Amino acid sequence: MSMRSQVYEWSNLAPGTVAGGGAGAVLRRSQNDLPVQVPANQSTDIFIGGIGNNISTPAETTATQFIVIEDIACTPDISGAVQVRINTTDYFQNPDVTQMNGVPGLASPYPRGSPSVNPTGNGAATTAAQTLVLTPNNLLKSFDLYPDVYVLPGQVFQILYTTPVGTGATQYALNAAGQVVSAFVKYTLYDGPDALIANKLLELGVTINPNNVDWYKRSLIEQQTAAATAAVAAAASNGGAA
Amino acid sequence: MSMRSQVYSWNGANFNPAASNSAGTTNYSVGNALSGRQISIFIGGFGNNITMPAETTATEFVVIEDVACTPTLNATAGVCTGDETAAVNTQGAAALMLSRGQLFNWTCQNNNDAGAAWAGASAGLFGPRMYVQVRINTTDYFLNPDNVTNDGIPGTASPYPRSLDMQPSFNLYPDVYVLPGQVWDVRVTSYCQDANFNTDVANTAGYLGNWGKVAAAGVVTPIAGAGGPEFNGIDFNAFVKYTLYDGPDALIANKLLEMGISINPGNVDWYKRSLLSAQ
Repeated sequence: MSMRSQVYEWSNLAPGTVAGGGAGAVLRRSQNDLPVQVPANQSTDIFIGGIGNNISTPAETTATQFIVIEDIACTPDISGAVQVRINTTDYFQNPDVTQMNGVPGLASPYPRGSPSVNPTGNGAATTAAQTLVLTPNNLLKSFDLYPDVYVLPGQVFQILYTTPVGTGATQYALNAAGQVVSAFVKYTLYDGPDALIANKLLELGVTINPNNVDWYKRSLIEQQTAAATAAVAAAASNGGAA
Repeated sequence: MSMRSQVYSWNGANFNPAASNSAGTTNYSVGNALSGRQISIFIGGFGNNITMPAETTATEFVVIEDVACTPTLNATAGVCTGDETAAVNTQGAAALMLSRGQLFNWTCQNNNDAGAAWAGASAGLFGPRMYVQVRINTTDYFLNPDNVTNDGIPGTASPYPRSLDMQPSFNLYPDVYVLPGQVWDVRVTSYCQDANFNTDVANTAGYLGNWGKVAAAGVVTPIAGAGGPEFNGIDFNAFVKYTLYDGPDALIANKLLEMGISINPGNVDWYKRSLLSAQ
């Protein structure tokens, strides 16, 4: 299993209190998770950003790993966007080479087919006659992450979620607030010998994907087979001459 | 039939074993007690199951090509404040059911037991918040970037069933190979519980959970500790699609694996043709 398709899903959900909603980050999801407030105009690392479900260490590749990021997406509501950062360099930038928030969730929605606005209620939560408001559209993606983003061995990478609006507090009375937002990244992890081949393909200028890694393996085997055949033929030829 | 496309579809409900493909009649339906627990869709003891763990014999080779499960839709938390079981709720409005789409009739999660006068924060999710993991022998396939095992693929990224509302963001490529003699499993985890979790699970007669999909009238009969009309597992699904190579084709699959060639029916046929050409 040296090439593995992987995904990571982040949501601003963590355990908290009934009165105040979710708080902070959590390493393991739980059934007690509640929405954590996401501040406006602040990039949140979906891996170790301290909000929602996180992992224990920054996402980085070891000397024997190679990662190819193939898709990123996020909740389209509240103008959310996702950015890829390799070491300290942001991948997506404005035409004037200034910083931007990344790919908007409207262009790369998660989940695909979801409404552009989170389902919400039509009024204050203190009224018993509240009804559901659901935006009747099914967003499809306008953005395709191609060419893919490569994370070379030893590099640290981050996926940053940013909303210019921020999610509200999660107390029950604030019906328009407390959005649940998510971000999603799909990548392929090449490990061990396949990571070496990925590096070789990078040197050759060949796109790194499972097909091309397999192609490179086959070409190595064919070369070895041809060399062995040539050696046998040469030995036979020398023997015949003697 | 030495290459066969196969599917296994799992459903969390098992109230009517005669109508499902379950081999057992004593399984429970998925309920609150399973929230946060990873269970096997083959032999987990919930929903429809098979008689023994999924494993390949010495002459079989399995290629898993897709896994999927029930998706979840984010919402604004305020939409699901309240307690559906309370006829009069002075502080929170009743939890709302999604009015359209694939998750039609799902109610939101409250996640905290606040009794009839609901006044707390809500999870803000329609759906079971479900994940699906593949396990080969004792190794989980899907990992976090810190190399720690995670819950697997979110149903939101790989939904089952697919619809206009919920389309896949994930494609299982490269495929997962199950070599001869290996045991494999597909395991689901859901993070969901209702507001009356602490009291209603033990209430065998009057279970009134307030999340999940409302069942059609007359479909279910509550089972002890296993849910009721408001949540009975009927919309709690998982799916796996795989190709089973058997006999000579399994040998060819092994050969292709050695050669670094993707194992699929087209390549197996190509290898057969090349053998015939060599003869």
